[in-house]
Amino acid sequence: MKKALMLWMVPAFLSIVLFIMIFPMIYMILLSFQEPGSFSLSLRNFGLTLKNYAVVFKSNNFGTYFFNSAFVALAVTAGNIVFCAMVGYGLSRGNIRITWPIFLSAVAMLMVPVHVLILPIFQMMLKFGWFDTYLALIVPWLVAPLGVFLMKQYIDGLPTDLEDAARVDGAGEISIFFKIVLPLCKPALAVLSVQIFLTTWNSFLFPKILTNSSKMYTLPVGLALMQDPRSSDWPVSMAGSTVAALPVIIFFLIFQKRITEGITAGALKQ
Amino acid sequence: MRTKHKILLFTLPWIVYLLVFWLYPISYSLYLSFTDFKLLQGSGDFIGFTNYSNLLSDPVFLTSLKNTFYFVFGTIPVTTVLALIFALLIAEKIPGHKIFQAAYFIPSITAMVVIALIFYNLYSRGGYLFSLCQIAGLSPPENGFLQSEKTALLSIMAMDVWVAIGYYVLIFLAGIKSIPIELYEAARGDGAGFFRRSASITIPLLKSTFAFVIVLNTIRSFQIFVEIFVMTSGRPFNSTLTAVFFIFERGISRGSIGYASAAAYILFIILLTFSLLQFKLINVRKSA
Repeated sequence: MKKALMLWMVPAFLSIVLFIMIFPMIYMILLSFQEPGSFSLSLRNFGLTLKNYAVVFKSNNFGTYFFNSAFVALAVTAGNIVFCAMVGYGLSRGNIRITWPIFLSAVAMLMVPVHVLILPIFQMMLKFGWFDTYLALIVPWLVAPLGVFLMKQYIDGLPTDLEDAARVDGAGEISIFFKIVLPLCKPALAVLSVQIFLTTWNSFLFPKILTNSSKMYTLPVGLALMQDPRSSDWPVSMAGSTVAALPVIIFFLIFQKRITEGITAGALKQ
Repeated sequence: MRTKHKILLFTLPWIVYLLVFWLYPISYSLYLSFTDFKLLQGSGDFIGFTNYSNLLSDPVFLTSLKNTFYFVFGTIPVTTVLALIFALLIAEKIPGHKIFQAAYFIPSITAMVVIALIFYNLYSRGGYLFSLCQIAGLSPPENGFLQSEKTALLSIMAMDVWVAIGYYVLIFLAGIKSIPIELYEAARGDGAGFFRRSASITIPLLKSTFAFVIVLNTIRSFQIFVEIFVMTSGRPFNSTLTAVFFIFERGISRGSIGYASAAAYILFIILLTFSLLQFKLINVRKSA
């Protein structure tokens, strides 16, 4: 009886849940191939057309949105890789009486709800003249507290022998960092970059607030403002959604282990 | 010793960011909350606590707080319990457990805008979830779930549980993995089945994971925004208006930066109180 429970009832139950979890994504993809104007999927006039993708890219600027999303996400990720590793290294190797409060400040910022930042950052970007430019989408996000936290923890666990040996040989601090420390950080940086890339790619609130022209929109913003959902052409809307979501899902399925590691690493160390 | 000081220079990027993009905005926003700053004028005068007292008697703001609380306390218990159950079952290493874990996580990596659009369609009149209810003999609201005051917020909450579960399953699984395997072997030796093992070993030892899951989810849920923006804009009759949507609407769309900053601070204080309370409760239990 117990064996049967574990052998097929539990998998059956989990499979039903699995279906519920992925059905909306399958629905999205299939609906994006239906004739323009369809409201939902139906077996009677099931279609396979690429028309909606043509609409999305030709008359809706999705090429630009896609480029903006990719460019911004890559730039933010690159910045975090270099800066968080630097800061983590400084925090890990510096004088602890000074580094500990700095480290705590990063942990404290992890707890600050971002909604407090909406209005002041908006106001700051207007004042800097960065509003509606790439600068507003990239510069404020280059040193994530989560990254500082993760990199400090990781570098704490690295041996210092190599650094010391290089110092004895007369190597400068900057070249020690770039030539010795940074390469050793690769596993942690992989986890961090996946995390930052995904968050930036999917983010909506700040890109929405900090842009107001269609040439600066990222995919989520362009998608949300493309049309009023009440009157929308659903297959077109779903084609846009697929363009935003499918690359990430495929990327996740390939790098699943790294991604889940990153999430639990951030979670458990607290 | 000299190198230890030189190395401190490496922390400069964070110190600059801490000052410019965290501490300055946080305090600037506190200052704004005491002014009648308007976006169009680009300036404002100091007006003391006026914004705060106006907000506490603003029925729309109070509604947004009420909806936010309803959302937070309605979703978190459901998400936590379901995520725990799925994690316990997946941790039994049944065939395909890796596939379940991955598939459940897919909603978490998908942009909220995309999810909100898909569910807008499913919840609409004639959408799949709408028809499913009709088939089940229930009568869904005439114009769709998101168009009725009674069901709109509940529908968004149900969607949120669906979105969030995979992430917490993952965290629970990591917690379960960190439990020493010897404990289970001893229990198995004593003939304890799945339910006994879960109730007397796994769940009690997951206390700090529980704490983490609940605190994290509280912070996230109090700030629900994207789905409201895409699906309802707070309609119908402000029944889905949440606090962060209120801040966005008043501050950015209508330009009352001062007023909205005060609203942001009230929410900040509420959230801080909750997080501290939760941490306290957990620590008390730990030491007890």
